[in-house]
Amino acid sequence: MICAGGPRVAAAAAVVRAWAWAWGRAGAAGVSTAPAGPPAAPEPRREKLLLSPLPLSPILRACSVPVPPHRSPVQAWVESLRHHDDERRGLTDLHPDVFAVRPRLDILHMVAMWQKNFKRISYAKVKTRAEVRGGGRKPWRQKGSGRARHGSIRSPLWRGGEWLWGAFAHGPRGPTSYYYMLPMKVRVLGLKVALTVKLMQDDLHIIDSLEIPTADPQYLLDLARYRRWGRSVLIVNVNEMPENIGTAAAGLKTINLIPALGLNVHSMLKHETLVLTLDTVTFLEKKLLWHDTRYSALYPFSMPYSDFP
Amino acid sequence: KEKRRGRGRYGGQKCGRGHKGERQRGNRPRLGFEGGQTPFYLAIPKYGFNDGHSRRRQYQPLSLQRLQYLIDLGRVDPTQPIDLTQLTNARGVTVQPLKRDYGVQLVEEGADIFSAKVNIEVQRASELAIATIEKNGGVVTTSFYDPRSLEILCKPVLFFLRGQPIPKRMLPPEDLVRYYTDARNRGYLADPSKVAEARLELAKKYGYVLPDITKDELFKMLSTRKDPRQIFFGLAPGWIVNMADKKVLKPTDERLLKYYSS
Repeated sequence: MICAGGPRVAAAAAVVRAWAWAWGRAGAAGVSTAPAGPPAAPEPRREKLLLSPLPLSPILRACSVPVPPHRSPVQAWVESLRHHDDERRGLTDLHPDVFAVRPRLDILHMVAMWQKNFKRISYAKVKTRAEVRGGGRKPWRQKGSGRARHGSIRSPLWRGGEWLWGAFAHGPRGPTSYYYMLPMKVRVLGLKVALTVKLMQDDLHIIDSLEIPTADPQYLLDLARYRRWGRSVLIVNVNEMPENIGTAAAGLKTINLIPALGLNVHSMLKHETLVLTLDTVTFLEKKLLWHDTRYSALYPFSMPYSDFP
Repeated sequence: KEKRRGRGRYGGQKCGRGHKGERQRGNRPRLGFEGGQTPFYLAIPKYGFNDGHSRRRQYQPLSLQRLQYLIDLGRVDPTQPIDLTQLTNARGVTVQPLKRDYGVQLVEEGADIFSAKVNIEVQRASELAIATIEKNGGVVTTSFYDPRSLEILCKPVLFFLRGQPIPKRMLPPEDLVRYYTDARNRGYLADPSKVAEARLELAKKYGYVLPDITKDELFKMLSTRKDPRQIFFGLAPGWIVNMADKKVLKPTDERLLKYYSS
């Protein structure tokens, strides 16, 4: 947008869009790049907007749960949201039994279908001949009238011109529930397979924390665009802390913020990119790997156990 | 082989189904049905090998090999007395009190590789199993649990959540009293001196040196036994365990104390 008006308006607009301009043409495609750039150089603004200076040493994280000796951990870059260029802040090891399992697409399908259907209650109900109003009297005498013999005007044979006059013999009866539960370990494996698939298809990104410089939703959109993350991003954190990203993501439809307990296969498949924090990775590894080596349940897990977490 | 078709002069018309009725219409009742009369296979009672099979006492087998496996993996702690509760918590055995299970029996499979010193309490034990455990310096006891006590023993947390006081363990029925008062079976109602004699006899019979457990450092643990009316090791009948507040409530009324200590 070419700012028309006085120098004050121009300066204000330049301040607002300075960080967008600083990214160059590759990033902010939504903003029309006018040939007349901002009057001030972009460098000084960049230093001001960073929340903390870039660390000198890279972030290196090893797996919190011991890795079995016959497998080696998978690795991923640690990025940051503080600046659009802040990729490759460090490296993290990811546990192979969570992030490098066999790509069981049948299990993904099972879990996704379960998530869709187990909550479904269909409220369709159609009246049978006993419930439709009327139809107690025999319409005409049994013999002699020349017409077919009938006992009531509400039998299901009677559809006539109006579809309401008869009744359904075998229609949907009352609210039906489609509730069923897949075994716990199948659901856990579904999560592991989804995480693996996201990692292996380059759709998983790990960030160190959720701090962003502004609460502007456009910043997140432009960052996702610049880093080529995809059309929709799912950001997962263990307990939500910064307000900036909360307000920024609240206004957006394609970028969503969820707690780690709310991670599910459907959301992971729906969003093109998955972004996890380092705390989330630790949490997920711990929780998902526990199921591999736990005892079977003597009684439901909702009741207290002395030796289980 | 050519499939039988219902076409043509010889295979057609009624197609081998007969004339009307359930035969033609495919609605005949199940095999053995006699039109409502009590059928033959239900009228004749079971006899001999099979009669009363659903009322017999069953004991889930526990082999010495499985016990050694559990101890080696660290699922069962040999430094504490091994009870049916410990075995269930380690998922070593699955006991179903509702299916006429009366407990666990020791089986000889793995007697040659067994090498663990344990204080174990089961419901039945064979002679060789007793000999193997005593040879390694352990102690075996056989005791009786009635079905209600067995259920409480297997799933103690569920029982404590009910909020009922721990009941007394019942004494064995007539046909089992003889078994549990016999020292050769190491019954819990047997005379301790006769049990000591039986240990020596077994050692002589199988030809091993009986180790002296009194000189053992874990002697106190090895000699802990339950009272005939007690279900859990640290708790007495009549007490209530409160899981939410983590407290144990004991009765103070005289009549209750008299009843629970009888």
